[in-house]
Amino acid sequence: MKPRESAGGLERNRARWGWAFVAPGLVFFSIFSFYPMLNAIWTSFFNKRLLSLKAPKFIGLQNYQRVLMSEDFWNSARATATFTVGVFVPLFFLSLLFATLITSMKRGKRLAQAALYSPAVLSSVVAALIWLLMLDPRGLANQFVNWVGSTPGIDHRWLSDGWMVQVSTMIVYVWKYLGYFTILFITGIGKIPDSVNEAALMDGAGPFRRFFSITLPLLRPTTVLVSVMILIQCMKTFSTQYLFTQSGAPLAPVNVITLNIYNTAMRDLNIGKASVMSTLLFLLMLGLTWIQLRVSKKDEAEL
Amino acid sequence: MIGANKLRDGAGSAARTVIIVASCVFVLVPLAFMLGSSLMPAMDIMRMPYRWIPETWKPANYLRALAGNDGSWMYLRNILNSVIVSTTIAASTVLLSSLVGYGLAKFRFKGRDAVFMAIMGTMMIPFETVMIPLYLIVVKAGMQNTYAGLIVPFLMNAFGVFIMRQYLITFPDEMLDAARIDGCSEPRIFWDIVFRNSGPAAATLAVLSFRQQWDNLLWPLLVAQEEKMKTIPAYIVKFTAEKHADEGAMMAVAVIASLPVFIMFFSLSKYFLGGSAVYQAGKE
Repeated sequence: MKPRESAGGLERNRARWGWAFVAPGLVFFSIFSFYPMLNAIWTSFFNKRLLSLKAPKFIGLQNYQRVLMSEDFWNSARATATFTVGVFVPLFFLSLLFATLITSMKRGKRLAQAALYSPAVLSSVVAALIWLLMLDPRGLANQFVNWVGSTPGIDHRWLSDGWMVQVSTMIVYVWKYLGYFTILFITGIGKIPDSVNEAALMDGAGPFRRFFSITLPLLRPTTVLVSVMILIQCMKTFSTQYLFTQSGAPLAPVNVITLNIYNTAMRDLNIGKASVMSTLLFLLMLGLTWIQLRVSKKDEAEL
Repeated sequence: MIGANKLRDGAGSAARTVIIVASCVFVLVPLAFMLGSSLMPAMDIMRMPYRWIPETWKPANYLRALAGNDGSWMYLRNILNSVIVSTTIAASTVLLSSLVGYGLAKFRFKGRDAVFMAIMGTMMIPFETVMIPLYLIVVKAGMQNTYAGLIVPFLMNAFGVFIMRQYLITFPDEMLDAARIDGCSEPRIFWDIVFRNSGPAAATLAVLSFRQQWDNLLWPLLVAQEEKMKTIPAYIVKFTAEKHADEGAMMAVAVIASLPVFIMFFSLSKYFLGGSAVYQAGKE
């Protein structure tokens, strides 16, 4: 056994080493996370412009007022909300459906997972680019839809119509992330003890009954996690909309909030206004994360 | 009774198989389209009806993809940039995250939990919120259009610290104590014992960080305005938006950009299919 007095010294020495190991992290996150975060909030109260030599002036809540009164901002809020809902509903239900189907498969589970997951490996830009060509007026999408609906020669204006271009961005996203969320659900379903399902099977519960009375309630932590992740991801969507609009799609329908922040800062050089939108985005995400934490805490308490 | 159940189950499982196979085919169609079209003349890609197997093969698309529409071969340089940036970030994320994760997992000191919570808190900050202040920092430091500007803000991340801390908490204390008794210094213990033995967690983290940077479009758009400092995603956007861009060459560009990550993921698929690592894998 170590003598007591040197144990105290050892403890102090160890604590010092602990700080030494953690120090790079503290420095890094202070400079590249905390400072920029506070800076974004701070800047939102100034009329700061990029590349301007004039000292930025404090203007209080004027930026907020301007942003909240502008049609452009509300259009972005609408575009982001539409996109989020339009992606959330199919993505959530399809991935849950596929997860349920795949877990009950006897053979080929891994193959099916790998196939569904493969688009998630692609870069977002590559995913958008593939669809850009398939959604061309002469492309596969029109051919397929016209073949299914037997309406030859109709152009569905996937990338030029205001509504359709929104649908197109949703398709890209659902396609890309379907396998990813399916695997999250499969992991979640795998955590449900087999004994519960077997007991229900013994009681003569059919597959639907088992799904709604057992799988779904016990899957709640995963459903909450997946929901919040989809929501957060959708609100941060950028690449698809950026590539589509750069390649000639109309901007207004798909001018999501991140695209608007980018354009406001880099094209209009209005940093103050961009910071307001950044801050609002942060608050929204904070709210979502808070909900997730609360729900998962409650789940833990119930277990 | 049992017979009827079996019959119903049989029909159910057949329906299930059909649904799964059909969906997998649907999901894979765009990938087949990318691969097939990358070897076709542009005219054939937009032909009705579309032919999945090229009638006229045109491997020259790949040459065009690499040479660019202006023949400057900028794509090669941009690929190299992506490799440099993603590899450096993957390496530094693993190293720094295990350093900090080790400090948080194996040392007891006042304020440790506060430090941990603060670092975890940064996960809630969307990159889109801090990108403009970060950009201004980089401009002030004169790091626009440099590798440093592309790399430094991503040297490590909270998710990495979390993964490494969780992994290292289970690291046997006896091994560390034995090394200390042998007179091993703390940095040596970290390097020789802890870091060398964090293989699986470190590998997963490295692949995820690499992929995330390989995909990064927004940050390089801000800091790398010069052609020769662009990375692959920014090149793709530029190449696509150019007039006279050839559709076949576009798909060749896409295939080239995707190959490294595809090889990486599917050779390590056991970590990513059904594993917890996947939680971060699809992050944009």
